[in-house]
Amino acid sequence: MNKKAVALFGAAIATVLALAACGTNPNGGSSAGSTDTNSTINVGSLYEPQNLDDTAGGGQGVTEALNGNVYESLFKLNDDGSVSNLLATGYQVSSDGLTYTINLRKDVKFHSGKALTSADVKYSIDKVLAPDSQSARKSSFTAVKDIATPDDNTVVVTLASRSISFVYNLSYVWIFNDEAKNLTTTEDGTGPYQVGTWKRGSTLSLKRFAGYWGTSATNAQVVFHYFTDATALNNALLTNAVDVVTSEQSPDALSQFTNNKNYKVNNGHSTTKLLLAFNDRVAPFNNTLVRKAVTSAIDDKKLLQSIWGNYGSLIGSMVPPTDPWYEDLTKVNPYDVNLAKQELAQAGYPNGFTFTLDTPNYDPHPAAATFIKAELAKVGITVNINIITADQWYTKVYQNHDFVATMQEHVNDRDVVWYGDPSFYWGYNNPQVTQWVKQAEQSATAADQTALLKKVNEQIAKDAASDWLYLYPQIVVASTNLTGYPLNGLNSQFYVYDIKKS
Amino acid sequence: MSASVSVPVRAPARRRRSVTLTVGCVLAGLIVALAIVSLFWLPYPPSDVSGGRLAGPGGGHLLGTDKLGRDLFTQLMIGSRIALAVGSGAVALGGILGVAAGLAAGFATRWLDDAIAAALDILIAFPVLLVAMLLVAARGASLASAIVAIGLGSSAVVARLTRVLVKRILSQDFVTAARTSGTSWPRIVLEHVLPNVWPTLVVNLALQLGVAVLAEASLSYLGLGAPPPNESWGRMLQEAQATVLTAPLGAIAPGVLLILLVIGVNLIADGLRDVADPTRRRSR
Repeated sequence: MNKKAVALFGAAIATVLALAACGTNPNGGSSAGSTDTNSTINVGSLYEPQNLDDTAGGGQGVTEALNGNVYESLFKLNDDGSVSNLLATGYQVSSDGLTYTINLRKDVKFHSGKALTSADVKYSIDKVLAPDSQSARKSSFTAVKDIATPDDNTVVVTLASRSISFVYNLSYVWIFNDEAKNLTTTEDGTGPYQVGTWKRGSTLSLKRFAGYWGTSATNAQVVFHYFTDATALNNALLTNAVDVVTSEQSPDALSQFTNNKNYKVNNGHSTTKLLLAFNDRVAPFNNTLVRKAVTSAIDDKKLLQSIWGNYGSLIGSMVPPTDPWYEDLTKVNPYDVNLAKQELAQAGYPNGFTFTLDTPNYDPHPAAATFIKAELAKVGITVNINIITADQWYTKVYQNHDFVATMQEHVNDRDVVWYGDPSFYWGYNNPQVTQWVKQAEQSATAADQTALLKKVNEQIAKDAASDWLYLYPQIVVASTNLTGYPLNGLNSQFYVYDIKKS
Repeated sequence: MSASVSVPVRAPARRRRSVTLTVGCVLAGLIVALAIVSLFWLPYPPSDVSGGRLAGPGGGHLLGTDKLGRDLFTQLMIGSRIALAVGSGAVALGGILGVAAGLAAGFATRWLDDAIAAALDILIAFPVLLVAMLLVAARGASLASAIVAIGLGSSAVVARLTRVLVKRILSQDFVTAARTSGTSWPRIVLEHVLPNVWPTLVVNLALQLGVAVLAEASLSYLGLGAPPPNESWGRMLQEAQATVLTAPLGAIAPGVLLILLVIGVNLIADGLRDVADPTRRRSR
């Protein structure tokens, strides 16, 4: 055997041994002692920000690290899904529901020392609405007609049509200092932390802000450590390099922590749903019966168990339990192979058909697609799996609608409203649903909104608009000497100011 | 006339039995046998997901199951087919292109030879992974893309070797004799050049096969090779990475087979070299 090959196998064997060694468990953190307010909390994450500005494509990572920690909004989305005042002390709505008068706190200072005024709020909302804004929430504010600042502590927003989610949507709008520059690499927010240093590809540190208007953070510093590999991240937790992991992505690594008194595994609620999204515009999926048949032919329970072990849940629709209009709709299109065959025969496909499934190349999509292919083969449907990159998905599927069926994870809460938009990538077009979604947004009370969105949810489930395979779990693993960390991580936010280390 | 010219490498043509060759043939033969059997018989259908999640060995599954409940041994058998198909496909492509380019360079005028040599240097400097990514971007991930990418990579290596060998043979007296006696160029290639470069090339192609098998596994590991549900060993390793602590066999089994095949092929190459060049063998 030549020397090169020997070296190669040596390296391979060394890798295997190193991997095996990673499985051994070093001593965990001690849990003795009282809370230390000058502690440094080390947070492990897989999601490094692209930049520090959430309206400039900062990504999931910037929300996780900075939302609520460095930047604050007028209102706060709590970990349980409720909304409360933050930089606003309250608001009044006109009787027609079109004018919101929002009062601001008077004692708030930016990290640069400047006091918060209504001009900053106007600037920040305009920043989300700007033509070059990449904010995920931009489309939620299409009803905004005018933003007035009658005095330093009052903002008056006029809407073109009622928007009952307006206050909730404001909880996603970070308030920037309107004079701040270079916001993609520096920050000027009002939160309990200032950004310390950001070593790209490695760490982002947050330092307690002495001039914070509210209750000070219970720790002096938080360092986000970024990993690209989940195994390396878990090893960092095992070796106490990090104290908490924001979101575990595989159930199999958890066995290292579940039976270890030094760690706590928390199983919270996520809002991330895995979808088998049909293109409802094109044959055969423009036929409701075909979509129902496919939905009934796939054993979602077994799929969830395959990917997530005993974690996660089935929802049977687009609405997770943390949304106010949640209902258990798993029985609408139950797993029933015989029913699926009947529906296929009724739809004119007694012998099944063949379709291409555009599958993103990252986990869990390829494995889930393989499972779906095996399940649908039982009712005579042949699936050709076409692996595509995230970029290809964006242009081919999302922009050009050039697909028959695809898979995608949808991370946001309250996103059932997309089924009211016939131009959305999946092309579900039910005028009644569109009408309900529109009415829900314009309804006068939350009860009306909830009632209407429940109807939407039931209707899309009846129509099998998509196949909602399962709801992801949100698994936060932390050292047992840590308390006060968020469990649900709605929309990937991760408030760190209450975390205590003993 | 040309028949009377002595052919140097054929002179010590006594075939020696080589231990490395035998061991290599046994190891690689195991994998080839697995692949051949898989064409006619598999323990379970390839897409059968009826097994439990990460079931251990036994209970109807020789090596257990993966997280989707598919039989591991079935996937390994299919994987052997993919490894051999892509490996030999890539080496065949690389061999044909490489020998053709090497012959052309060897016979070419000086400026054309320089141009081909420069092109080969560029191609060798170009990582196979990069070629594969470009191909996948252009035509999507498939076995064919993997074969073409790896084949192109190995063709440059084969071409450079062929070029040097051809030049050496062409400078030999027996070729000059053949040329002065009026033998045509095609006949010189077929009767003098190829028989003399062939033994060295075969050894090199065998080594390339090992490299190609590893390259296929790497590409599939990165999601650039065989798309699912094709179970390439590289893809199996990637999928088993997350479950290596709970079900280590899922990572160990394809890893071991991959190592066996590559060691086998490399031993065959070593054995062939010993047979082809006994002086080298004695000097060891």
